[in-house]
Amino acid sequence: MSSNSNLDDGETGLEMSLIVRLNGESFAIPVRHVHEVIHEIPRTRVPNAGGLAPWLINVRGAVVPLVDVRRRLCMPPHDGDDGQIVVLDLPRGNESHRLALLADGVEEVMEIDPARIEALPLRGAPWPAEYVRGSVRRNGDLVLIIETESLFEPDPSSPPLH
Amino acid sequence: MEVNPAIQSYVIEARDLLAQLETMLLDLEVSATPESVDSVFRALHTLKGGGGMFGFPALSAFVHHFEDAFDLVRMGKIAVTRPLLDAALAGRDHIIALLEAGGDPERSDALAKSPEAASILAHLSAAANSSPMPPPPTDRTWHIHFRPAAKAMMHGMRPDLLLDELASLGTVEIHCQAQGLPSLADLDPTQSLLSWDVTLHTTQGRAAVESVFIFAEDAELTIEEVIEPEAEVEEKQAGPTQARSPTAKSPQNSPETVRVPAPKLDAILDQLGELVIAQARLNQIAARFGDSTLDGLVEEFQRLIGGLRDTTLAIRMLPIETVFGKFRRVVRDLSVELGKDVILETEGGETEIDKNVLDRLSEPLVHMIRNSVDHGIESEAERIAAGKPAQGLVRLSACQDAGEILITIEDDGKGLDHERIRQKAIERGILSPDATPTENQLAELIFAPGFSTAEKVSNVSGRGVGMDAVMTTITALRGSVEVMSRKGEGTLISLRLPLTLAIIDGLLVQLGGDIFVMPLIAVDECVEFDLTELRRDSGRTMLAIRDEMVPFVDLADLFNVSTDGVTRRRVVIVRAEGQRMGLVVDDILGQHQTVIKPMSPFHAALSDFAGSTILGDGTVALILDITSLLRGLLNGQTQALAA
Repeated sequence: MSSNSNLDDGETGLEMSLIVRLNGESFAIPVRHVHEVIHEIPRTRVPNAGGLAPWLINVRGAVVPLVDVRRRLCMPPHDGDDGQIVVLDLPRGNESHRLALLADGVEEVMEIDPARIEALPLRGAPWPAEYVRGSVRRNGDLVLIIETESLFEPDPSSPPLH
Repeated sequence: MEVNPAIQSYVIEARDLLAQLETMLLDLEVSATPESVDSVFRALHTLKGGGGMFGFPALSAFVHHFEDAFDLVRMGKIAVTRPLLDAALAGRDHIIALLEAGGDPERSDALAKSPEAASILAHLSAAANSSPMPPPPTDRTWHIHFRPAAKAMMHGMRPDLLLDELASLGTVEIHCQAQGLPSLADLDPTQSLLSWDVTLHTTQGRAAVESVFIFAEDAELTIEEVIEPEAEVEEKQAGPTQARSPTAKSPQNSPETVRVPAPKLDAILDQLGELVIAQARLNQIAARFGDSTLDGLVEEFQRLIGGLRDTTLAIRMLPIETVFGKFRRVVRDLSVELGKDVILETEGGETEIDKNVLDRLSEPLVHMIRNSVDHGIESEAERIAAGKPAQGLVRLSACQDAGEILITIEDDGKGLDHERIRQKAIERGILSPDATPTENQLAELIFAPGFSTAEKVSNVSGRGVGMDAVMTTITALRGSVEVMSRKGEGTLISLRLPLTLAIIDGLLVQLGGDIFVMPLIAVDECVEFDLTELRRDSGRTMLAIRDEMVPFVDLADLFNVSTDGVTRRRVVIVRAEGQRMGLVVDDILGQHQTVIKPMSPFHAALSDFAGSTILGDGTVALILDITSLLRGLLNGQTQALAA
C-alpha cells in the first residue's frame, strides 16, 4: 500500500485516507503513510516507557514501537488487548520510519478534498490543535484530520529513570 | 549530475593511497630507506596521473610539485629532513581537501590559490633547496695503487698506518705486491720495496682518499674510481626489490580483493539476523513434532547458519591498524605543538574488529591518546629530573581476549594525581567531601561528565568534555573502560569491546509475563533466591555469595512487574565496570543467540535497554544494558551517600 502514491490525485488535490476509530471519534490518516493493517498480535511491554509507546510488536521480522496516541489527544489510555494495529511508514528526515498505531477499529478508506477541510472552533475540541489540523464532514458526523508529523513525534524529554 | 564510475573509483583509490601516504611519510621519519622513498614517490605518481586523467587538474598540479621534491630525494640529491616531512604531511592533507573538492573547478581553484597551498609549496621547495645531500649515500669504489718511494722509511713514513687510515674510510681489500724483491742477502732493510693494491668501497670522494697520502709525496700513487659495469648495477637494484616483496605485501602476492559498499554488507547482516530468528522458530517447531528426520535437518540448518554467520561477520572485520596510522600522526603533530618528544608504539595492529565498531572507536581513541600526550607525559626537563628517558612513550596495543577486543593505551608519564582528582571532584560536586573512594574509583572519575583536572586549558584538551564523551561512546558500543595509574610511573587505560555489535549470546529470563534478555558476557552466575531476603525488616538488600557480599535489586520493582503468586525466584549475578550486582528474576529460561535490533526513537531515552530482539515464538524481548542499568542503580546509591 505504501508504494501506491499514485492514489493521491495530484490534479484535484484529493487525498485518499484511512479512517480509524479512537475513543468514539474518527480520524483520517493519509493512505500513503499506511503500510498495512494487522489484527491482534502479541505485544511486549516496555518498562518505564511512558504512555506514548508502551509496547513493541513484531511486524514481519521487524521490531516496531506500538503507539497509543490517546493520551496526546487527551483521551483515557487504551486498556485491554483488543483493537486493531495500523502500521505506518512516516518520513523522518530522509528516512522512512516505521511505527504502529493502536486503534479501536478501522472504518474505511475515503477521499478527502483539502478544500473542504474546516478549521475547528476554539472551544469544543478537547484535543490539542497541534495534533489535529481540522475536520471534514461525513454522513452528518465529523472526521478529524490529524497532523501526522507532530502526532507521531517521539517525546522530546527523556522519561524518568527508575 | 551523473557520477562517472571511473572517477568514483579513482576517488576511492586516491583516499586509500592518501591514508597509506601518511603512514609512509611517518615511516620515512623513522628510517629513510630507498624503498620507503620509492613507495612515497610511486604513491604520488599514481595520484598525479589519475588526477590528470579523471578531472582533478588542480590536484594533479599540486602533486606535481610534491613529486618533484621526492624525486630529488629519490635521486639522493636532498635528504629526508623534518621540515621536508612537515611540509609533506601538510601537503598530503591539502591533497585530501583537493580531492574532496571533487572536479568542481571553482572550489579546487580557490584551494589551489589559498595561502595554505602557497605556504606548503614554499616550505616544500625550501626544504628541497636547503637540504642538499650532505654525504652522497652512493657507494663508490676506488682502486689505489701505492708504492712508497724507496727511501721513504728513512723519513719516518709508515705504510701500515696509511693502510689503516684507508681502511677507516670504508671497506678495503688489500693486496701486497712483493715482486722483484732481491735475495735476502742483498736486501737493504731501510729501503721500501713493496707496493700495495687496494680496492676501497666508500661513500667518500676523491679528496678524502687523496688526503690519506698527503705526506707520501714521493710515492708512486694512482687513485682511480672504478665504475661498476651495467649488469652489476642492475643486479644490485633487483636485489632489494626481491628481498622486499614477501614482507611488503605486494599486490601481486595478496589474494584478489573486491570492493563492496558498506550498505551491502549491512544488508547481508540484516538478512542473516532474520535467518537466525527463523532458525530459532524452526527449532521450536521441530521440538514440538519430535520427528527424527526433521530434527536431523534442523541440526544441519543450524550448522550451516552458524558457518554463514561466522563468515559474514568475518567479512566485516578489519584490522585495527587501519586507524593506527592516524594515531601516529596525532602524536607527531601533538609533540611538535606541545614541544614534547613523544613516540607512539603500536602492537597488535592485526587484531580484527567489526567495521562499525572501528568507525566509532577511532574518535575516542584519538582523544585518549591526546590526553596521554598532553596530560600524561611530562615536559622533557621534568622527565630528566625524575630520572626518566627524555623521550616520552605512549603505547597502544590491541588483542583479542575471550570473545572481546582488549585495547590498552599506556603512557610512561606522571600518572594521575589522585589527591588532585579528589579535590576537583569535590569542587565540582561529583564527590561528597566525606567519601573515601579507592584510588581506582578516583581514577574512574576522570570519565565523569564535566570533569577536567587540567590546570590550564590548552589547545589540545582540558575542557572536560572529552573523557565523558569517550565513556558514552564506549558504553554505547557495549564496552567498558578501566583506568590504572601509578603516580610518577604512568597511566594505563584499558577498553574492552565486543567483537561485533550485531549478534550476542543472551540469557533469557522470565519476569511476570515478560521475557528479558541479558547479554551473557555480563552474567557471572545464577543462584537460587530465598524469598525472605526481600522482606528483611532492616531493609538490607545484600546476598552472601560465597565470601563476597553482593547487593541485589528486584527487577520486578524496577520494571513495575507484578510477581504475585510466584513462589520460587532466582537471582542472576551480573558484572559491569568491576561491580557485581544481583538481579532478581522469576526464572531463568536458557541461552539464546540474539540479533540486536536498535531501540526506536520512542525508546532511545531508556538507557536500561541495549535494544530488542525477536524470540523463537515471534514475540519481541528487550535486551538489558547491564552496564547502564548498574550505573543507574549505583549512581542512585552514591547520590544518596553524597546527600
